[in-house]
Amino acid sequence: MQKSKKSWVMLLAAAMLITLLSGCGGSGNKNEQGSAAGGSSAASTVSKDGFPIVPEPITLTMMAPDVGLQNWENMAVLQEMEKLTNIRFEFKNAPKDSFETKKNLVFASGDYPDVFYAAGLTPAEQMNYGEQGILIPLEDLIEEYAPNFKKVLDENPNVRKSITAPDGHIYSLPVVEFNQPWYRNPLWYNGDFLKALNIDKLPETTEELYTYLKRVKEEDPNGNGVADEIPLSSTNNLRDIRTWLLGAFGVYEEEIYVDDADVVHYTPMEEGYKGYLAFLNRLWNEDLLDHESFIQTAEQKKAKAQNNQVALFSDWHAYMTLGGEPSTDDPMFAPVKSDMVDKPVIAMNRGITTGAFAISNSNPAPEASMRWVDYIYSYDGALMFNKGPEGILWEYTDKANLVKQYLPVPGGGDREDYRATITPNYGIPAPTISFDDIYKGLKTDFETWVDIESKTKLLDQGARIPFPTLFLTPEQQTEVTTLSSDLTTYVRQMEAKFVTGAESLDNWDSYVQTVKKMGGDRMQEIYQEAYNTWKSN
Amino acid sequence: MTTIRESRSDKLFLIINYVYLLLALVVVLYPLVYIISASISNPKLVSSGEMWLFPKGLTLDGYKLVFDNPKIWIGYRNTIFYTVIGTLLNLAVTLPAAYALSRSDFVGRHFFMGMFLVTMFFSGGLIPTYLLVKNLGLINSVGALILPVAASVWNIIVARTFFQSTIPKELQEAAHVDGCTNIRLFLKIVLPLSSPIIAVMALFYGVGHWNSYFPSLIYLNDDMKYPLQMVLRQILVLQEMSAETTGAAISGDIAQAMANKAEIAALVRYAVIIVSTLPVIAVYPFLQRYFVQGVMIGSVKG
Amino acid sequence: MRKNGRVQPGNLGSPTQSLGRRMLKNWELYLFMTPALLYFLIFHYGPMYGIQIAFKNFTPVKGITGSPWVGFDHFERFFNSYYFWDLLWNTLSLSFYELAIGFPLPIILALAFNEIRNGGFKKTVQTVTYAPHFISMVVMAGMIITFLSPSSGIIIRMIEAFGINAPDFLSDPRWFKTVYVISGVWQSTGWGTIIYLAALAGVDPQLHEAAIMDGASRFKRVLHINLPTIIPTITILLILNMGNVLGVGYEKVLLLQNNLNMESSDVISTFVYRSGLVSAQYSFSTAVGLFNSVINAIMLIAVNRIAKRTSDTSLW
Repeated sequence: MQKSKKSWVMLLAAAMLITLLSGCGGSGNKNEQGSAAGGSSAASTVSKDGFPIVPEPITLTMMAPDVGLQNWENMAVLQEMEKLTNIRFEFKNAPKDSFETKKNLVFASGDYPDVFYAAGLTPAEQMNYGEQGILIPLEDLIEEYAPNFKKVLDENPNVRKSITAPDGHIYSLPVVEFNQPWYRNPLWYNGDFLKALNIDKLPETTEELYTYLKRVKEEDPNGNGVADEIPLSSTNNLRDIRTWLLGAFGVYEEEIYVDDADVVHYTPMEEGYKGYLAFLNRLWNEDLLDHESFIQTAEQKKAKAQNNQVALFSDWHAYMTLGGEPSTDDPMFAPVKSDMVDKPVIAMNRGITTGAFAISNSNPAPEASMRWVDYIYSYDGALMFNKGPEGILWEYTDKANLVKQYLPVPGGGDREDYRATITPNYGIPAPTISFDDIYKGLKTDFETWVDIESKTKLLDQGARIPFPTLFLTPEQQTEVTTLSSDLTTYVRQMEAKFVTGAESLDNWDSYVQTVKKMGGDRMQEIYQEAYNTWKSN
Repeated sequence: MTTIRESRSDKLFLIINYVYLLLALVVVLYPLVYIISASISNPKLVSSGEMWLFPKGLTLDGYKLVFDNPKIWIGYRNTIFYTVIGTLLNLAVTLPAAYALSRSDFVGRHFFMGMFLVTMFFSGGLIPTYLLVKNLGLINSVGALILPVAASVWNIIVARTFFQSTIPKELQEAAHVDGCTNIRLFLKIVLPLSSPIIAVMALFYGVGHWNSYFPSLIYLNDDMKYPLQMVLRQILVLQEMSAETTGAAISGDIAQAMANKAEIAALVRYAVIIVSTLPVIAVYPFLQRYFVQGVMIGSVKG
Repeated sequence: MRKNGRVQPGNLGSPTQSLGRRMLKNWELYLFMTPALLYFLIFHYGPMYGIQIAFKNFTPVKGITGSPWVGFDHFERFFNSYYFWDLLWNTLSLSFYELAIGFPLPIILALAFNEIRNGGFKKTVQTVTYAPHFISMVVMAGMIITFLSPSSGIIIRMIEAFGINAPDFLSDPRWFKTVYVISGVWQSTGWGTIIYLAALAGVDPQLHEAAIMDGASRFKRVLHINLPTIIPTITILLILNMGNVLGVGYEKVLLLQNNLNMESSDVISTFVYRSGLVSAQYSFSTAVGLFNSVINAIMLIAVNRIAKRTSDTSLW
């Protein structure tokens, strides 16, 4: 006994000693010398327009997430860029699924690449690393060396507001996609069921929607003689249908949204949210909402749909759930309204994702890097990064009007798979801008039909961005992070209970009290402050 | 061992034993058969529950996708290499230490034991370890994969327990009387008597290396050095990106590309399991012969 | 005779000898320790200074030593969480439930294996039961969800074939832990036998021969010869398991978790995982990890003490 106690003491002493010793040798002395010295000398040789960007070839390092289909050195787009610009990149990529981990280690170890591409830098990361000088401010470089991106900012002042950190600097370039309006994958009606029940006008109110779903349940639209229809099916704990149904009760988004009077709301405490819960609870009680919605996988939902059982569901396109070829027979869900509002509110995609491209302080040629990435914000550059250089995947049929057609895929494989071997912009949040012109001539009839559905049912009905992309200050960010981990857990858990009836809506008031106690009010305040700052900039 | 005649109760006992094992076999076998069937069945029939035992809607697309990837064979080769080297190192570190700790006349064994145990609970975390490996110049080398996991406390303790409870004390005494040194004792007598624990340790460590992907994920940059698990993960990730498309704003192109993959994702998941584990499962029957009762203790004593 | 590590056989060094002499006598054993010692010093004690970030606000640029101290802020955040007690309860109960079911089964299975002669059947059962260990959590969870799906799951259909109403295994909070534990048993029992099989190889056949002479039945011999042989291994594994009671991993729990069963399925590791989703929180997760370690270490020390009092076997 005595002996073992003594060895514990010795051990502890040794451990402490070693801890102290190695603490001295640890990290923490990162060099803070910026790129100013190296950069300015290079700047003089960087041409402000035209190609090549630099007269003598230079080599930079890039870090990006890699989906592993092709080595980036061998991608036609990047080879073409090298020829065009005289800038060669050495890639320090990490597999997509581990990119986050690797990115954090790179920041922690002080071995930065010259540029981050498709890095998905969070606002917190941009602010942290920007303030600490790892990421350099880009606003001056944009002014001087990014004519295309500057044009985007000048035309869309909101984009500039959204990518500017609270300290007034821009640390990253965004993905810009104004022509993709969906906030979440749309809901789609099963066209066969509509036909079988002779529906010629889609439901416009929650009551009509309820009636339709009820008819699906009772009138056997799939005609197999069994009441096996599932009127509304969801996966992922209702996440895929929530936003669309909240709109019927005047709520734009599931967490934070701003109303037309510039007042920010925290959804889980709103009356409209209560209306949504009551409606879903009614659907649940009458078996109109799939009772497996909280537990099934997306594949199981698909299997049900392909078994011709599901009437209303969410997906990117209807045929992806229903199986078969793209079809215009399955119409998009047109948002419905409840008695609480005059017309439904509809959330629209924000259109920008920040953190797509950044330059580190070890970059010897920030000017050239900026010019390089700026090309991707032009029509030609965006086209090339999206579809590859002309002559591989596509060719012009009418160059003056930018009309194109697809070329046959060598070997007859899948076009998307082939595309992934040509360009890095496949499945990662890469810096780019999406122009309608890029797709001219390339869209199928089905895609055109989908565009029209989105336009008439969403955009023309007043769809708008529920809450702008914006930065929180570090203090706000910390507070939100701390509050939201418990708050979100509680809210989602209670949602499930209210919907399934495990908790009666009579207890709504005490629920709201708890949400407030856990900081729901504070969330609303923080986002209101942040919104006011954003608005006044 | 040498059973003479079995009594009635012994027979009953044996029958119960066989029934028990048979039951275990069936219970465990069913999901395994299910996985094999699922890997060659139409994924739709799998998720709808129509395929529940034998393959339905036969397809080899999952395997085709896995084996079409040129990196898969490089991955196999790398994994075998890392596993062999890594396991040898593990044994070289673990067995001597475990043996020393098993000796009650080893002064300081409590200290060493405690020192090792502490590391089971307290670790510096990912970042300092990464910095250490980087400062040692091991990034992108085999060293980064095997040195940071050169031993596990858990395994050392298990091996120590084995030595303590199965190597007879008298043997050591006898050896010492004969003037045999500890090194000779360990190499010539203890190790030959310990084939079960060596087999177990080789298996535990080997499987660890075989399944490991995290170290290669953070320490390797060159995909020609990726082990099998990394290659397979890449294939899977590609197929499973579709899962992320439920929700958040994503680009049309991404969603389109991924939705096309969704169909085959499940299929690949099952195929990957088979491709990656078949070799490790095939090895096990060969190791089993080292677990035969009393192979050596008796022979030494006798 | 091995109690408290004091063995006094004649030649191995008597306690009357001085410490230095006893150390010198077995100098080679220190050589044996050297590789392991170096490994733990370099790769475990070397990076251990990283623990201090539990008491700091770690930012990569300032580094581990340079980040500002915040004292016990992160611990307070964890303790003050609305869900702290739920998390602790869920983690502990899941752990003990798993231990209660999952710990004895490999022992029984190993003893059963040991009773049949080597041959095709033995090899087959052994290999088959070992195989599930290699199934990834994602596929495992996928199978559990498929088998238990209320509309199409094979297990549900089997239960209903008996005319029983199957419970909501996947969404009822009361069932979560059972589903988790039973599937874990399925996956790891065969793998768990390996260690005991190796230990059983150390059974002295002479003991069996003597017992047979005395007319002991097979069952008796298993109980009185085989089982006692592996008791040290069982004890050690039990102690080690107790030293990991808060170590329930997040992967499988997360895959089986949904908003309906959350109240019983949320454990410490999933809580930390969720907190980290918003932004990488090294300091917070290190703090929670440190809390876990301290509790685990206390458990291990306590159980080891009990083992030491009641049996021959203990960790130190």
